Amino acid sequence: MYGVRLSWRAVHIEDAELIVRARTGDVAAYEAIVRRYQDVAIRTAHLICPETDADDAVQDAFLKAYDALPRFREGSPIRPWLLRIVANEARNRRRSAGRRRGLALRVAEAEPSNRTAPGPENIVIAAEQRTELLSALATLRDEDREVLGARFLLDLSEAETAETLGIPRGTVKSRTSRALARMREALGATAGPGR
Amino acid sequence: MTDRPLAGRDDLALEDALRSLASAIDWPAAAPLAPSGATAGPDIATRVRVRIASGERARPAQTWWRPLARPVRRSLVLAIVALLALAIVAGAVGLGLPGLRFILGEPPPSVLPSPTPVATATPSDLPTPPLPAVTGSRLGLGQQVTLEDVEPQTGVPVRLPTDARLGPPDTVWIDSTKFDQIAYVWAADEDLPETSERGVGLVLMRFAGRSDDEFYQKVIGMGNTLQTVTVDGHDGFWITGEMHFFFYMRPDGSGQVDDTRRWVGDALVWNDGEATYRIESSLGRDATIEIAESIE
Repeated sequence: MYGVRLSWRAVHIEDAELIVRARTGDVAAYEAIVRRYQDVAIRTAHLICPETDADDAVQDAFLKAYDALPRFREGSPIRPWLLRIVANEARNRRRSAGRRRGLALRVAEAEPSNRTAPGPENIVIAAEQRTELLSALATLRDEDREVLGARFLLDLSEAETAETLGIPRGTVKSRTSRALARMREALGATAGPGR
Repeated sequence: MTDRPLAGRDDLALEDALRSLASAIDWPAAAPLAPSGATAGPDIATRVRVRIASGERARPAQTWWRPLARPVRRSLVLAIVALLALAIVAGAVGLGLPGLRFILGEPPPSVLPSPTPVATATPSDLPTPPLPAVTGSRLGLGQQVTLEDVEPQTGVPVRLPTDARLGPPDTVWIDSTKFDQIAYVWAADEDLPETSERGVGLVLMRFAGRSDDEFYQKVIGMGNTLQTVTVDGHDGFWITGEMHFFFYMRPDGSGQVDDTRRWVGDALVWNDGEATYRIESSLGRDATIEIAESIE
């Protein structure tokens, strides 16, 4: 029973059932939805707002989403809809913080325990380069960091990224391209002339 | 490939590098973690549920000066919580209750002390919910089964109270997502006063867990009371009040299972060495213990 990976469709259908129940006031059903997406939500918030505000931002976003459930378009995937509310709430808190904070993310000291056989993405960079990447990411403008974070750190599709960040899909493409170019510049500046 | 400077990579290689970075980031968890890495409190879903259930709505974003004061406020709250937790744990240890640890956590803002906390009370400003067609169907206890299904599906023999106030349970539920948690539900009748859940008179739950490494946490909001009791020679707790959270360690000790359902009544919790049981009812402590001790 445990460890069974549900297909996207199965998850989607189950989401739909939970949403129907949650709309009728079934708080336990909504809790199940939140539990399903709380991890990606907290990651989204940490990409956008100060670390100390991320947890509150996610909680409040889920509360707002609960109130907004009647307006949720039936049949749509709920994950990007929820993440858009999370992103908006996180942006509000970033603005309210009044000053720019550094990216709160850190590279884990230990290797991820869930990493098994190295896939293509796992052999691309050495351990010391992860910190370099994260540092460069932190120097980017908010909109660049958000789009790169959504696409590659959260592994959202272009469509999900578009909905989460509230921008057209075409903008996701162009902004990603520009952000990667700026990232490259930042990495060059970080590495210095000797690299 | 790893020797190639990051700045010299093309877009696709940089995208792969970022994806690789994602798996190396120390992402924050949705639940607070103890230094050991174990979950140490309710996760976001639990906290959201509590806030919704208590009628709370989202807070506005903070003004510019509030983050400056926040660490101070949080430190004060944490200090108070730590003191209260120490008091509870010290009390439990002093009373000789191995295997169970109760932690008094920061209660949600809505869970303020009630002058007279009564678990079975229905808020007067809320309409009386309709009687569900299936007793206990709104409790989120998992999949409804029959008594005959229990042992084949869980490997656990059916053990029920023989107390005269109870007949066979009206409904039976198994939650396979929580290590085959079993719940027996009795409908309210003239011998069994209704709990805070319409139509429900008593809920008996069995939580799987090995007695040698199980570890329970209870986050008690203010307004709860906790008494140590004995159930058929086993140590247990009688818990009254409105807001309950219950966390128990998986049978293999690999993590925590959240049972975040709002309890429908005062609760008796005990462990018989093989599993943990909980009875929720409106019968009061002594009658509930009598029923617990009649389990065969």
